[in-house]
Amino acid sequence: MSELRYDGPATLDKVQGKALYTQIHKARPPKGRTVHIDLATTEVMDSDGGAWLLEIADHLKHRNVQFLVDGATGTVADFMEFVGPALEYGVAPLPRHVGIVENVGAHGIAIINELGQFGTLIIESIYWTIIAPLEGKGFRWGKLMDEMYEMGVRAFPIVCLMNFLLGLIISMLMAKQAEAYGIQLFVADIVMIGFARELAAIMTAVVVSARTGAAIAAEIATMKVQEEVDALRGMGINVVQFLVSPKLLALLIVLPCLVCLGILSGLLGGAFWGIVVLGFQPSIWINQTVQAAFIPDIFQGMLKTLVFAVGIVLIGCHNGFRVSGGSRGVGLMTTRAVVMDVFMLINIDIIFAAIFYYILE
Amino acid sequence: MIEEKPIVTVQDLVTHYGETQILNGVSLQVMPGEIFCIVGGSGCGKSTLLKHMTGLLSATSGHINYMGKDLSVVDESELSKLQQTIGIAFQSSGLFNSMTVGENVAMPLREYGMTDKKLIEGIVRMKLSMVGLAAAQHLMPSELSGGMRKRAGLARAIAADPPLVYFDEPSAGLDPIMAAGLDELILSIRKLMGTTFVIVTHELDSIRAIADHVLMLDLGKVLFLGSLDEAENSTHPRVRQFFERRPDEVITQRTMEG
Repeated sequence: MSELRYDGPATLDKVQGKALYTQIHKARPPKGRTVHIDLATTEVMDSDGGAWLLEIADHLKHRNVQFLVDGATGTVADFMEFVGPALEYGVAPLPRHVGIVENVGAHGIAIINELGQFGTLIIESIYWTIIAPLEGKGFRWGKLMDEMYEMGVRAFPIVCLMNFLLGLIISMLMAKQAEAYGIQLFVADIVMIGFARELAAIMTAVVVSARTGAAIAAEIATMKVQEEVDALRGMGINVVQFLVSPKLLALLIVLPCLVCLGILSGLLGGAFWGIVVLGFQPSIWINQTVQAAFIPDIFQGMLKTLVFAVGIVLIGCHNGFRVSGGSRGVGLMTTRAVVMDVFMLINIDIIFAAIFYYILE
Repeated sequence: MIEEKPIVTVQDLVTHYGETQILNGVSLQVMPGEIFCIVGGSGCGKSTLLKHMTGLLSATSGHINYMGKDLSVVDESELSKLQQTIGIAFQSSGLFNSMTVGENVAMPLREYGMTDKKLIEGIVRMKLSMVGLAAAQHLMPSELSGGMRKRAGLARAIAADPPLVYFDEPSAGLDPIMAAGLDELILSIRKLMGTTFVIVTHELDSIRAIADHVLMLDLGKVLFLGSLDEAENSTHPRVRQFFERRPDEVITQRTMEG
């Protein structure tokens, strides 16, 4: 078996290393032969030169050509101690390619697992929020106050503003349509019915998902990444009791309040346009609004917010607990929580609309 | 190997975190090619001093001179150029979680203008192999153990062969064999490339194995500065206590008032 012999350059660096690589690449040594690099003539080498030796070895391995480096002396021999292990190891294996069938199967299993985890979280949350305090197992009341302040009081200005503006927009758009028929006063009815049944609940819930839902997911995910969740478990503290149930009860209390304020703000927005721009007398507009108020509408809207509250908190917590992979994972899970929240809101909305306005009608 | 002119000089460094004084008049000199260990108890300001020396924090007063430039007066672009010649291995590795280990090591090379993909690939393989992580090139940092992440952090710090490497707590979280291996590695890198190391540590074995000079901090002040032999033979009670691992004296507490 003949061998192709190359003398190492006096200085094996970036330039000379590449030259040697190109030379061997062009020589296209046939399969089964040996390429021998003699470093006896090399006096100096650096990391770049070492890197080129690795690339030469990799290239030859792909061509099924044997590779041999020897003859190094002095500092070059010392340096080869660094390069040696990498030469010996070769190229790191790439992550295994996953086929379509395996991928579909893995995703299916992951979805089932996730549903199981979410189901467990729901059951544990119900237990630790409602049953356990009644059994005298305690509840973090102090934390509840903090959470209510954070989720409710601090969200109050933005929730009111958004609903006010939405009321204004609805009023503006509807007034233009109603003008043709001379029934602009009925815009007051539209705003009342719209906000009581749907708009206040959904607008407030969207604002709260973006604010509170994202914050919950990010907080718990960061705690998980920094092993704070493990620390709690290690102390024998129930994580759901400690982290989830104060948030859940807080939002269950706070979200209906925010939605009430949302309805009022929406009505104010509508009234602003009706009274200030369309020129209706305040008493007429208010009277029309009150006549349109229908208790079952408001009840349906409020009932929905309780389900929204449970959904926002549990989706936030669930995604937070599922985090993996450090800071990037925290970002991904926070995004996922908000997307899932909004999707959940729309689905719950459809179910409520179907039940209250078609099935129970 | 050791030249006359210091590579890093710190003069009368005073720093605060809010109201709390962290460092109080720290001065030191690091000569090229030496391994300079900063030691001291937890919370004495070791990591803070290191962050100031790398230009990551700005001081209340005092000067840090690196390669003849005062880090407190250079503009941002010059500071960034100087920082490109410094390798930093962080205590908690500082690896980017969104990239594979190999991409992490390749990042400084790419950012500093290397374009040859084959060369970058070769350097990444070599540096990872140097820290014993050749097989981890395509893994994500989240798939590594704490010690492996630390070694990957070192591989990234030495990727571009910087003349100066700052290393925060290299041995913490490593098993004794791996810690001794890391000491060997630091010595070999210094021998081959003349790299200067400034290492924050409180591992006595490690200090004894690698240090040329030792700086001991206590409550933000320099308690001792000298060669390893001088440190071992020091008569200063706190230095003796540290090198003899005696917890028999009162452990000083840093108060919030500083």
